[in-house]
Amino acid sequence: MKSYPYRLALSVFLLALCPLDGLAAVPAKKAGKKDDGPSIKVAAPVAKPVQALADKTQIWHTWTDTEGRKIDAMFCGLSGDFITMQTKDGRTYHFSTSLLVPEDVEFAKSCLTKNRDASFSPAIIASAAADIDRLVGAILVANEQKPNPPSSDEQFLRRIYVDATGRVPTAKEADTFLRSTAPDKRAKLIDDLVFSPGYSMQMFNWMADLLRVKDTFGKGVPAFTFEDWLKMRIAADAPWDKLVYEMITADGRLCDNGATGFMLFDAEMPLDGVANLMTTFLGTNMACAQCHDHPLADWKQRDFYQMAAFFGATDGKDESIKGAITKLTKADTSLPKALLTKISEMNAFRMEDTTKQKLTFPKDYKYKDAKPSSPVTPALIAWEKGDKALPIYNVSIKDPAQLRAQFSHWMTSPQNPRFATNIANRIWKKAFGVAVLEPVNDIDDFKQASSPELLAHLTFIMKAAKFDLREVQRVIYNSKTYQASASPTPDLGKAKYLFPGPVVRRFTAEEAWDSLIVNALGTYADNVLLRRGNDIKAMALPPGKITLAEVKEAVTRTQAAFAGSSKGKAVAGKKGAGGSTLGLANGYEGDKPVTRFSMMLARASELPQPSGETHFLRVWGQGDRLLADSATNDGSVPQVLQMMNGGVGKMIADPRSAAVMDATKEKTTDGQIRSLYLSYLSRTPTAKELASANKSLKDGLGLTDLAWVLANTREFLFVQ
Amino acid sequence: MSILTSASLLREPEDRRRFIEKCAKMSFGLSILPFFTGIAEAAEQAGVAAAPNAGLPGFGKAKRVIFLELQGGMSHIDTFDPKTGANKGPGKAISAKGDYQLTEYLPEIAKIGDKITVVRNMTAKVGVHASASYLMRTGFEQRGTLQHPTLGAWAQHFLGASHKTLPSSVAVNRSSNHGNGWFPASFSPLPIQNPDDGLLDTKSPVTTEVAAKRAGLLAQLDSGFGGKAADENVKAYNEFYDTTFQLMKSTDLKAFDLASEPAEVRARYGKSKFGQGCLLARRLIENGVRFVEVANGGWDMHATLGDRMETLGGDFDRVFATLIQDLDSKGLLDTTLVAVTTEFGRKPDFSGGGRGHHPLVFSTVLAGGGVKRGFVNGASDAKGYAPDGDGVSPGSLHATIAHAAGLPVQTDIITPAGRPMQVGNKAKPAMSVFI
Repeated sequence: MKSYPYRLALSVFLLALCPLDGLAAVPAKKAGKKDDGPSIKVAAPVAKPVQALADKTQIWHTWTDTEGRKIDAMFCGLSGDFITMQTKDGRTYHFSTSLLVPEDVEFAKSCLTKNRDASFSPAIIASAAADIDRLVGAILVANEQKPNPPSSDEQFLRRIYVDATGRVPTAKEADTFLRSTAPDKRAKLIDDLVFSPGYSMQMFNWMADLLRVKDTFGKGVPAFTFEDWLKMRIAADAPWDKLVYEMITADGRLCDNGATGFMLFDAEMPLDGVANLMTTFLGTNMACAQCHDHPLADWKQRDFYQMAAFFGATDGKDESIKGAITKLTKADTSLPKALLTKISEMNAFRMEDTTKQKLTFPKDYKYKDAKPSSPVTPALIAWEKGDKALPIYNVSIKDPAQLRAQFSHWMTSPQNPRFATNIANRIWKKAFGVAVLEPVNDIDDFKQASSPELLAHLTFIMKAAKFDLREVQRVIYNSKTYQASASPTPDLGKAKYLFPGPVVRRFTAEEAWDSLIVNALGTYADNVLLRRGNDIKAMALPPGKITLAEVKEAVTRTQAAFAGSSKGKAVAGKKGAGGSTLGLANGYEGDKPVTRFSMMLARASELPQPSGETHFLRVWGQGDRLLADSATNDGSVPQVLQMMNGGVGKMIADPRSAAVMDATKEKTTDGQIRSLYLSYLSRTPTAKELASANKSLKDGLGLTDLAWVLANTREFLFVQ
Repeated sequence: MSILTSASLLREPEDRRRFIEKCAKMSFGLSILPFFTGIAEAAEQAGVAAAPNAGLPGFGKAKRVIFLELQGGMSHIDTFDPKTGANKGPGKAISAKGDYQLTEYLPEIAKIGDKITVVRNMTAKVGVHASASYLMRTGFEQRGTLQHPTLGAWAQHFLGASHKTLPSSVAVNRSSNHGNGWFPASFSPLPIQNPDDGLLDTKSPVTTEVAAKRAGLLAQLDSGFGGKAADENVKAYNEFYDTTFQLMKSTDLKAFDLASEPAEVRARYGKSKFGQGCLLARRLIENGVRFVEVANGGWDMHATLGDRMETLGGDFDRVFATLIQDLDSKGLLDTTLVAVTTEFGRKPDFSGGGRGHHPLVFSTVLAGGGVKRGFVNGASDAKGYAPDGDGVSPGSLHATIAHAAGLPVQTDIITPAGRPMQVGNKAKPAMSVFI
C-alpha cells in the first residue's frame, strides 16, 4: 500500500485535490528495449494543486412549447439558440429555443449558467495555465531555447476559432474581436467559443476519428443511434471517463441503445476490438501481441489473451434473432418481408454478457507460459512495478457476466496508470499539433515525453477537471504557450519538440470544409443538425426471447416512424449513408441544409460519417474510420482540383455566398476587400494586398473572384 | 493511414530527406508532413535492399499491371475449369486455343486462349465476401487493427512514382478503400467511379481570361504567407498548386478521356462500365500509370447462374478478350500483366439454379508481363472441390504478380507501427507460370 502515496485518499474528490499523483515521479522503465532518443535536460518547477471540479447535477424540468405542449426532460445543453434535452425513455431532442415559451428559454439559460458556474473559476484556470507556462518555460531554458513571441490578435483569433469551434470566424465575428479593446478579450472569447454550438461539432469530428464513427456496420446496418448518442453526450458535457465507461459497458441492441455502437464495431473480430480499446484509451499498442510476443515492447501474447478474457463472456452479435423472427412470422404473410429482414439485421447487433468466459489460448500457442487451447484466466496488465498494488487492480473475476464491467472500472478510473495521461496527451496534441509524448498510440514509457513533468501536470489537470475535456481545453487555451505564435513544422527526428508555441498546421478536412461552409452560409450552418437515430429506435425488439406480438409491434412502429418522412429515409441504411440527398435531408432536425452545386451544405459533423470517397472531406483527408486515427493531412492534386474547379470552387465564387454578400454590403471597394479578407483569412489586408486586389477589381474581376483567390491561398489552408 | 507514427522510424534525417525529395517528384500525392511521414526509413531501406528474387525467370518483366476484380465469386466450374458428370454446370465445355477447355460462356476468350495462363489451383479459406475480397485484393487476411496495401502501393513503395504528373495507381469502378495500407495516403489509388467521366474537375468553370486573372491575383496575394514561408508543408502545397496548373494545361490529362478513343475501339470494348473501365485501364497504363484496378460486380450466382453467365459472363468474355487482343496488337502485352481475380469459387454442387461460395479451389487468370502463353497452372480434382496437389494462395498470387513487377518478395519492410511485413504475406511466387 505504501507504494502508492495517495492510496489512502478515500474519495475521488480527495484524490483530485492531492498536489501530484504517482505520475509526477517518473518511475523506472521496465526492461527498456527502446532507444531513449535525444536527451532532454530537465529543470522542473512544481506545479500548484488544481482544485477539483464539483459534479454537475441533472436538471429535470417540464418544458412547454409555444403551442402549449409539455414534455418532461433533462436539460442536456444549450448551444446558441439550440437546446438539447433527453426524456426518461432515453430519446434525445434538439430544437430551436424559439419553439419554447419565453419562461422556459430563460430557464434553459439559467441551467447553462448553472453548468458554467460549475466550471473552473477564472483564478483556477489562470493558475493551472500559468503552471503549464512555467513547466514549458523551464524546459526551454534548460535546453537554451526561447518561447515564441506572443501571437498577434489575428493569429490567435483564427486559431482559437478553428480549434474550439472547428471553423474560421465570420467577417463580423472577426471584426468584433479585433476592434475590442478589452484587456481580457482573449479569455472571454475562449469562454464564449467553448460554450458555442461549434464546440460540440468539432469535438464530434475529433472523437469520430478516434472512435471510428461510421454510418454503417456490416450489411449496411446503420449506426445512426451511436452517432446521435455520441452527439448528445458531447452536448451534455459528458466527462471522458463516464463516456468511455458507458460505451464499454453498454448493453442491449444497437437500435435501442446507441452507446453499444463502439463495441459492436468489432463484433465480428472481438480480439481486434480489445487491441483497439487498449490503443485508443490507454495508448498501449498490443496489436502485435495478439499473434506473438511483442518483438519491441514487453507485452507477451499471454498478456494480451489475459486482457481479452475480460471480454470472453461478452456476446456481440445475436445471430439467433434472425431465425426466431423468420419462424415467428412464417404463418403471417401480411407482414412486409423486406422490413422484417431489416428489423432482424438491426436487432442482431446487440451487446450482452453471458455466464461463461469462453476465450482459450490459440491452438498453435507456442510459448511455455500457457497450454494451447487452454482456457484463459483474465488478468490485468501493469506498466510499472507498483501498479498492481493500486486498489483498482483488485478486481473480481469470479462472475463472468461482470468481467466487462470490472475491466471498464479499472480502465476508466483516475487511478489507472495510463487512462488520464492518454487523453490528456491527445487533447494537448489537438491544440498544439504535436503531443507531449509521441506517438499518441504508444505511451508506455513516460520518459520518452518531451517533458515528463508537463505530461504529469496535464494528467493532473485532467483528473482535477474530472475528465471534462472542455475544462481541460479552457486551461490549455488560456496558457501563454498556446497563445504564442506558431513554430514551423519541427523535425522530430532531430530533436523532441519542446513547445515554444503551437505548430503551424494544415486544416483538418473537417476544418477546411466547415470554414468554407460558414463562408457560404454564415453561422446558419451551426444550427443544421443531423440526427437519424430516433426513427431507427422504432425497430428495437426487447432483450431476450421475443414474441410474435412484439415483432408485429416493431413493424407497426417502424412503419409509423418512417411514414411521415417519405421514402428513402434512414430505413434504407445504405441510402441514408451513401448520401442520397433526399434520404439524408429527412434526417435533419432544426434548420434544413441548403443544397448547392449538388453538395449538401451542412457542417462535416452533420453529414454522412464518413463522407463518400470523392467528397471534398474525404479527398482532403477525412478518415475512412476503419481504424482509429485514420484522418490524414497529406496533400494531393485532386484536392486542388476540387478547390479550384469543383463544386467547392463554384460554391466559393457563388454570388449567394454569405462572405460575398457581407462584402457587397460595404460601401467602399476597400471595405469590401477588407470584409473578404476577414471572412477567409481573419485579418485585414496589408496596403500592398489592398492595392493588388483593388487593381484586379478594376481590371474585370469581381468580389466572387476575390473570394475564390483568397480561399485558394496557402494562408487559408493553414492555422498559424 | 494514421499520421501517428513511431518516432523510432524518424530518427534518420538523411533517409527522411531523401524520401521527401523522392515524394516531391511525384505530384499526384505527396505526404506533406515530414515528421508524420514515418515511412522514410522503411522506404529507403527497402528500396536499396537487393531483391532475393531478382534475376529469376519473369522478374521485372511486367512494367504495368491491370488487376481485374470479378466481385461476388466467379464459378470456376462454369468458366475456366469445366467439369463433367454430376458437377457440370448448364454450359458445355469447348476447346480453347492453347489446348485446354473452357465453358461455352467464354467463346471469345477461347480464341485468345493461347495468350493467357489459367491458374486452376487457387485456394483459400475465407468464404465471406467482404473478407475474401480483402484477402484477394491485398494478399492478407483482414484485421481490425491494421490495413494492408494493394500491389499498386507496394510497387510505389519499392519503385517510386510511375509518372511525373499522373497517379501511380488508379481504381476504376470501385472505391480506393484504403488501398495505401500503412503507406502514405498519397499511395492510395485515385478512384474513378465512372470511366466515362474520367478525372473530375480538371476544367476551370470560368473563362480562360478570368481564370488567368484569378491565377495572377492569387500569385500576388499569396506571396506573403505562401511565398517566403519557411514551412515545408506550406511549400508542398505551393507545389501542388503549381502542378495542378500545369496538369490542367497538359496533354497527360487525355489519358483519362475516353472520348478521344476512336468510336470503333470504344464499341469493341462494349458499352458496359466494365468494358469502358478496361479501355480506360489500357489508356492509363499506356500513358504511365503503373497499377489499375477495374471492378466488375454481380458474380455472386446463387441462382439463375446459366442466364447470368450469358449476360454478365458474356460481357466479361468480350471485354477481357478485347483487352488482351488490344494490348497484344499494340505490343504492350509482354510488358503488361493482366490478372483476372475473384474472391472465391463456387461449390461443385449445382442446386437452386446456382452454386454456393467455395474458397477451397477456384480459378484466376494471368496474362502478359512474362507469364506463359497458353498455359494451365495446376488443376482441381475431378469434382472441382479441392486443388489436385499444391494450391496457390491469394498471398502467393500477390507474390507472383509482385515478382513479375520486379518487387522484392519474401523481404521484410517495417511498417510505421514497427511491424515487419512482406508483399504477399510471406508466400512464395508461383514460379511455374513464368516463361
